[in-house]
This record gives sequence, C-alpha cells and structure tokens, in this order.
Amino acid sequence: MGAEANNRARFAKLVTPYLSHAYRLARSLTGSQADAEDVVQEACLRAFRGINSVADTNARAWLLTIVHHTACTWLRKNRPAALITVVDVAAVEEKQANSSEQDAETPETALIAKADRARLEEAIASLSLPYRETFTLREVEGLNYREIAEVTGVPIGTVMSRLSRAREQLNELIERNQ
Amino acid sequence: MTNSIPSSPDNPIQLLHAYVDGELDLTEALSVERKIADDPRLAAERDRIIALREAIHEKLPREPISPGLQLRIEKTFGLRQEASRPTWRALAASVALAVLVTSSSTWLFFGSNDTRTTEDAIVAGHIRALTAPQPADIASSERHTVKPWFNGRVLEAPHVADLANAGFPLIGGRVDVVGARTVPTLVYARRKHIISLTAVPASGKANSGPKISVDNGYNIVQWTANGVSYWAVSDVSATDLDEFAKIFRATQS
Repeated sequence: MGAEANNRARFAKLVTPYLSHAYRLARSLTGSQADAEDVVQEACLRAFRGINSVADTNARAWLLTIVHHTACTWLRKNRPAALITVVDVAAVEEKQANSSEQDAETPETALIAKADRARLEEAIASLSLPYRETFTLREVEGLNYREIAEVTGVPIGTVMSRLSRAREQLNELIERNQ
Repeated sequence: MTNSIPSSPDNPIQLLHAYVDGELDLTEALSVERKIADDPRLAAERDRIIALREAIHEKLPREPISPGLQLRIEKTFGLRQEASRPTWRALAASVALAVLVTSSSTWLFFGSNDTRTTEDAIVAGHIRALTAPQPADIASSERHTVKPWFNGRVLEAPHVADLANAGFPLIGGRVDVVGARTVPTLVYARRKHIISLTAVPASGKANSGPKISVDNGYNIVQWTANGVSYWAVSDVSATDLDEFAKIFRATQS
C-alpha cells in the first residue's frame, strides 16, 4: 500500500467512525448546523494532515481535540464575543470551585425527569461555552475526565469544577422553569 | 483512570460528581458511598445528577452527522469509489493529490468474524479480566452509570439489566476487542465468581436460543437477540450460567 493509500485507510479507520461525535461537538460550540459543518470539514482536513501522528487507540479524543481547536479558531474569527465569555468564566471558575457548597434544597428529581426535549435543549444552550462543551463531552459523548481535559486543554480539576457547575446550573434552570 | 484526579477531597460535591461518572477507584468510591449514606443532601444531589443524565439520554437524540456531509468527506478523502468531482472547493485545493490518485476504495467495513474466532476473543477477554487487578474498567452496580459509560467507546451501548435480586449483582463493565472492534462486556458476580457478558453486533442474524459449550474450562452460553450476539462466560457451573442467561433474556423482552 502506498503512503497516500495508507493515509486514506487510516483516515477511514480512525476518523470516519467518529464524524458524528465531531459534528455534535462542533454544533454545541458554534450553535448552528451550517457553522458546525464548516468546522467539521476544516477539522477533517487538519486530521488528514496529521493522520500519522495519532495512536490507533486514541483517535476519538484526538479528533475531538482538533474539532475543539478548529471551532475556537472559527469562533475567534466569526464570534469574538463568545470567546470573551470563556475568559470571564475561566477567571471566576476557581472561586466557584472552592465555594460550590450546595444549597439544602429538596431534591426535585421528578421535575428534572419531566423536563421535555425543548426545555433541556434550551437549558443547555444557555450555559456558557466551556460549561456547555464540558457537559456535552461528558453526557452526550461519554468521554471520561482525562479525555475531556485533553480535548479542552485544561487540567482535570477544571473539568471537575466545570462539570459540577454545569449540572448544578442545568438542574436549577430546569426546576425553576417548570 | 483515577491517578490524575486531584486527591485532596476538599470538595465533596465534585467528588460526588466524579463518583457518579465512574471516575473514582474502589477506595474513593467507598468513601463517597459512606458520605452519601450519612448526608441526605449528598444523596439528593446524586439523585439529581442521575435524573438529569437519564433525561438527557431519553429525550435528547444524539444527532448524527448529515449524510450529505458524510458523503462529501468520504469523497474528498478518496474513501468512496464513485468518480466524482469534489464539490468542496477549499478542501479539494488542499488535498487535490489525495483525490486525484484515488483508484481504489479503502472504505473499511467490518466483516463478520467466524464464530470460532469470536469465541476465542471472548474467552481471552474473560481470562484477561480475571488476571487484571479489577475485572471491570468501570466498577459500579448502578446500571444508569454503567450504560452511559459505554457511549463512544463502543458502537452501541448494550442493554444493561440489574439482576441483583436474582443473585447476579452487576459489578461493572469493560470494553473487550473482538476482531479489531471494541465491544461492550458487562460484568456480573455470582457469589465469588465473575460472569462476563459480551454483546457482539450481529446484524442480520436471526434470533437464536441459548447454546451451552465449554472452552478452556470455562462454561459459555451464547444466544442472539435483536441483531446482537450475546456471550456469557464464567467458571460458575453450567446450570448457574444457564440460569443467568434465562434471567437476562427475560429482561430483554
């Protein structure tokens, strides 16, 4: 097999099984189908160029890392406002991490269970970008903390604080809006 | 999986989330479980995390990539044989070479393995699990934790049943490899023994009843249901394993 054919075979084996994962992450970050498709195309191009630098066992997190960077570049160019939020969030995250003592609320699991699709989507969309990305990678894509840290380029401690804050905010939003 | 989790347990809420996500090792998980038992607020928070997860899994469809984009990408990188003019101009410019030299399809698909190879791989997975420090990659008796753990690791998360009442408590799950593809394995206990239940996609195969066999001293019960071939492997007696299979199958209908 020539080098070019070999690269194609690797791309088919390592990237194409995860295109839907890549698309959902791009969609979560950009918020629109058309923009997400642009990001996925660009990310595939980058993935193809680097196809020989990835180990076979780690392809999903590797591809999602590329999507993360591609989407951030895209947002910087097209929606600089969205990224300002990221900086703000990063600044307050540490404080929240140490003060996220839970209110002694009664559990409203029944309300959460009753929430319909539209309410869930609305609540997720209202999260700030890093929270939304972390939550999506965990609950929709099923990545573990180490993989999320790798994809989003932050320490695991930050993943833990983002995830717990994201879930708390979602549950509060869903309970409040019932 | 846990060695890069900060070890200072100064934030019980974050540790609770890590517990529900299956990120803690046995010692840490036990410590969190004790805290949950002592603190109703932690128990309530755990229930909310699980309720949110279930709502997301039940009501939010995992939207796939559009067939149009998938096709465009496959054509751009020469993964489809049909001669086609790439419509995706920016990419075409960058990887024109790749597109031009396309002569044969390298679109990979998984052929079905013959039964013998599948059985070898499944028994090997079971033996490896028995010799590993823990027989499961995710240790949890909570099926709502085990099932989502498989998302993204295997093509399809398996049906997970809680059989504790029947004497087969769920103790976790792991990913095995059968014919270069990752497949989900559920791990159950029977007294001090381990039962591995591996689910191998078998689309197009007709449902078939349980077949009992022996391989390398391990009892095996195999059946096919809804396009999935199930393999239960264990050193428990054939009678016990057959009973396990019956009970599990009953939860599938």
